[in-house]
Amino acid sequence: MKRLVAGLAALGMMATPAVAEKLASTVSSATVQITSSFDGAVLSLFGSIESSNPDTVAAGPYNVVVVVTGPLQDRVTRLKTNTWGIWTNTDQVTFKQFPSFYTVLASGKLDSIAAPGVIEAEKLMPIEQAEAASTDPNPFRAFEFGTELVRLMTAQGHFAVQENAVRFLTDTAYVAQVNLPSDVANGPFLAHTYVFKDKQVVAEHSDGFTVRKTGFENFVFVASRQQPLLYGLVCVVLALGTGWLAGVVFRR
Amino acid sequence: MNLFFLIGIGGAVGFLSGLFGVGGGFLLTPLLIFSGVPSPVAVASVTGQVAAASTSGALSYYRRGGIDLHLALYLILASTIGAMAGVATFSLLRAIGQLDLFISVSYLVLLGFVGTLMMIEAVRTLIRRRSGVVVRDKLPSQHSWMHGLPMRIRFKRSRLYISVIPVLVIGVFIGWVGALLGIGGGFILVPALVYLLRVPANVVVGTSLLQVVAMMCVTTILQALTSQSVDILLAFCLMIGGTVGAQFGAAAGKYLRGDQLRALLALLVLGVAVRFGVTLVLAPANPFSMAVLTAAGAQ
Repeated sequence: MKRLVAGLAALGMMATPAVAEKLASTVSSATVQITSSFDGAVLSLFGSIESSNPDTVAAGPYNVVVVVTGPLQDRVTRLKTNTWGIWTNTDQVTFKQFPSFYTVLASGKLDSIAAPGVIEAEKLMPIEQAEAASTDPNPFRAFEFGTELVRLMTAQGHFAVQENAVRFLTDTAYVAQVNLPSDVANGPFLAHTYVFKDKQVVAEHSDGFTVRKTGFENFVFVASRQQPLLYGLVCVVLALGTGWLAGVVFRR
Repeated sequence: MNLFFLIGIGGAVGFLSGLFGVGGGFLLTPLLIFSGVPSPVAVASVTGQVAAASTSGALSYYRRGGIDLHLALYLILASTIGAMAGVATFSLLRAIGQLDLFISVSYLVLLGFVGTLMMIEAVRTLIRRRSGVVVRDKLPSQHSWMHGLPMRIRFKRSRLYISVIPVLVIGVFIGWVGALLGIGGGFILVPALVYLLRVPANVVVGTSLLQVVAMMCVTTILQALTSQSVDILLAFCLMIGGTVGAQFGAAAGKYLRGDQLRALLALLVLGVAVRFGVTLVLAPANPFSMAVLTAAGAQ
């Protein structure tokens, strides 16, 4: 409902000046390959804001917000409490289909880019992702555990809100940079770009890219999941072989 | 994780395991956990390293005829069942989020108990030696109540005619504990064989080593099948460091007396127990923690 209202508001804004914007955007690489020496990557997202009407010129000032979402996982946040002098996990909230990576990149302060309600309507902030993914019926618990989850993910470099990460090259062309940490999850990523004018969304565009392990790392990982018996046997043979070899080498 | 760091701690633990004649799992698993490896991965990967570390020892005992194959077979069969139960318990505890707690408490209790016993024994020997009393190794000769149980079997190599029940019970327990905690269990198995079953000293270490190798191989495969948390690269780094370190440890061990070695080992065991106790009692830096349940589309 909120979303609809925001959309209608945006339509209203577009109707008056008779200029409709459209966005052309792309990612610097469609696949990020994780090799054994992978220690993170920086991706660039480029875009250009154009007028959909050839007779008019797109005129700003524009602001851009890019939301990069990683593959979804089920996660659990646990709380340790002290019972009889021992710290144990006593409470937990499960988050289903929660992003393993989530970064909001913006060309300025979010509250000066967007009108009140727009950010909430689009569920842009990490905490709103957590609240949406929570399986706990109690919204207060979802918020409390969700906040801690976002904090933990942020500390590991998987979540971020960067309000200076989108740079305008001209009035209508921008570049955004996203940092992928070294232990980034594998799978499909989505970069959703919002163009704001007069604090309302005037254009949107989605780009996808993929992160995947390659070479030996990928081979080992796939083997452990698809051929677990063979994987275990190889590990055992490796162990027995190493032990035997050490015995032979060091025997005088 | 740094490759050289892993080979390094594998080597250091291997040195200690060679020095004291133990598998080293009870040191390596905690070290990995304390240096940030998730406990499921640490436990599952160390099993491979323990198998490697015990193989060369078991082989050299086998060449010398220091293994009771008959007894080892019974222990291995029982510990396989124990290991299956252990891996199942492992998965269950992991699912309900109590694996870390269980590992900490078990290490604290097990190592605290064994370490205290070893310490008392070692200190007593040291004091006696100082006061000039001639110390003879205790010869386990008298029969205990365990020898009265039914289903007796003759183990020729060990010159034993005992009930199979305590053998199987010990095997199942070692298998269960080993799979859960990522330890070979040699430091429990050797005393159990000596004091409970009265296995003679010339075959006890070799038999225990063979049992550890077999059990750790079974556990590695089971962990790979069920929890899928065996990290083969991590295990291989540890194996290389561990087996090389063990050779130097064994060489260094010749310069120390048996009772001194046992006192040092007791200190080490107690140290690890205390370290686990501290993590249980001290307030954590962050009471909240997170874990991945399933990785949707992980590839």
